[in-house]
Amino acid sequence: MPDGKINPFDGAFQLRAEDEIIAHTRIGQRRGRENARISLNLVAMIDVVFLLLIYFLTVTDFKLGEEIYRMDLPQRQPSAQLADPFELDEDPLRIFIDSAGRDFDQYVISLSGPYESPATFEDLYDFLHQQQISEVTTGGFFAANHPIIVQPERSVRWEHAIEAFNAAAKARYTNVTFSKPR
Amino acid sequence: MSVVTKRGLARVEANLTPMIDVVFLLIVFFVLVSQIVDLENIKEITLPALIDPASEIAGEEQRVVVNVEPGIDGDVKRYKLGGQFYAADLQGIKAMTAHLADLYKLNPSLSVNLRADASTHYQWVEPVMQAVANAAVLSQQPNAVPRVNLVVIRED
Repeated sequence: MPDGKINPFDGAFQLRAEDEIIAHTRIGQRRGRENARISLNLVAMIDVVFLLLIYFLTVTDFKLGEEIYRMDLPQRQPSAQLADPFELDEDPLRIFIDSAGRDFDQYVISLSGPYESPATFEDLYDFLHQQQISEVTTGGFFAANHPIIVQPERSVRWEHAIEAFNAAAKARYTNVTFSKPR
Repeated sequence: MSVVTKRGLARVEANLTPMIDVVFLLIVFFVLVSQIVDLENIKEITLPALIDPASEIAGEEQRVVVNVEPGIDGDVKRYKLGGQFYAADLQGIKAMTAHLADLYKLNPSLSVNLRADASTHYQWVEPVMQAVANAAVLSQQPNAVPRVNLVVIRED
């Protein structure tokens, strides 16, 4: 009070004003709670996830275009040998491959029997395709299941051995195997 | 009479949920794929690449992978069957044959994928085929068929 007198209603007024302030604050808090949104801070997680993604992208190696040739190996069980004791063995066509060149990167193909040696694997495929007994070609010698044995020399590169196998498989022969190296 | 609608300031927000979904899927994919590749294959092998080959895409049948790890000048370092390594000598081949025989006992129709480097000499690849054939006999499974899948790369 400016004049130094005590106003008996002054304290009551102050109390009322404080009550009002408290009441307003409570209402405000209630409204604030109603509007509060629960949210996750995803930034850290996204950082980690992207780091993981980049790591796996750089580390992973893919097997691009891998394919297979199925090859049944000759069975050595007694049951397989006694399948038909009177059946005559067909003389297999043997494809010999020799390595040549300084780094064994060249090859020489020859065939068992009175056949001309193919110069390349494409020639080998042409020969095998022409010599197959079928409705399309005439004058063939070999049935589709005629045994064909690929017999590479010891130092022949695997890619050359598999190309010979591919030539026979491409010509639709079904009984193609590898033998021990010469 | 025209009506004027008051809109607040537009908030530009990115919806991160689909992105997180996709990223998680990618991570799960890479985790699975990279484990399989590491266990089965050797990275140093350059498979024979053939143009228009008569090969086929591998199916979902049960198979094991034998890697012929290349050495220098067409030689071989060692063989790898599954996660185990075997020396490229008689003892190593015998141990690998015994391992394959055990696998044939578990699954007589097992296929063996043979992965060898294009420059590896045939003398180092052929023993794997011998081992597979011998393992089928050794397993004493009457219906075991020794079958090798020769793995190549298709070049277009």
